[in-house]
Amino acid sequence: MSTRSRTRPAGVTAGDALPPYRQRTSTVQLFRFSAVTWNAHRIHYDAAYARSEGYPDVLVQSHLHGCVLLNAVLAWAGPDASLRAFGWQNRGIAVAGDELIVTGAVVAVRDAPAERVADLRLEEHNQRGEPCAPGHATVAWPAGP
Amino acid sequence: MTDDVIGAAAARLAAEAGVTRRRDLGALPARDLERFAVAAGGPPPVDGAVPPLYLSSVMGWSAGPPEAELRPDGSGADETRGLPLDGLRLMGAGQELEFHGTVRAGDRVVEHTTLLDVRRKAGRSGDLLLLTVERRFTDEADRPLVTCRETFVAR
Repeated sequence: MSTRSRTRPAGVTAGDALPPYRQRTSTVQLFRFSAVTWNAHRIHYDAAYARSEGYPDVLVQSHLHGCVLLNAVLAWAGPDASLRAFGWQNRGIAVAGDELIVTGAVVAVRDAPAERVADLRLEEHNQRGEPCAPGHATVAWPAGP
Repeated sequence: MTDDVIGAAAARLAAEAGVTRRRDLGALPARDLERFAVAAGGPPPVDGAVPPLYLSSVMGWSAGPPEAELRPDGSGADETRGLPLDGLRLMGAGQELEFHGTVRAGDRVVEHTTLLDVRRKAGRSGDLLLLTVERRFTDEADRPLVTCRETFVAR
């Protein structure tokens, strides 16, 4: 599946760090994400219900954490990149209003026929430095001339 | 949550393990893809390309039941991968995805869902179930588009 964004790394080598990617969540964002994914779980839009389950406020959806991690990859990888694999694990919660910060690095680069492939490791934290979701991605670019 | 509820759910789920359900999701509407990209804070779809996590993030593909038939936490069976979860609360715990081909607005997609594994574990607030669900999204000829292995925690 191809993905596009504004920039492309000039050259990719193992050890390269992704620039930190930040996204501030909001109750409106959580509502719209639940709506478009048809997710009626009250924990994402009903603060009183979320508190009844022991959470401080409405929770950022598992899948939205994945989207934030992937947004960081797409913003870094550029318009020519193709996403081959991606994954994440939800380890800690975030609530509406939290800022999510994604950092990461290139862990391996290999040349394949007509393309260059990179494996990335990713970490998502909230603004308090608490880990929310580690992840990984594999992206490929067409080989240069 | 009592052990009896966890045990009964584990037995119901075990009976579902390994059974693959095939469902035609229909043609993907461009507006839904654009709305997903906006809500996720991601780049807008280019040339109708489906945002990579769209297919695996949508919880419900049907109209869903009337509100009175939702569980107390607001979820319905279709929004929880069709799993028999009565009495339990479900939380997503992550996904592993492989992308095989380009999917675009208007494409017709078929979902093949299989409960791969059910494991009972002791959590900090009592026993819980770890569920692994595989969904293969294909075209109508069963050519693979996206494969997703998703982990859920059921309490």
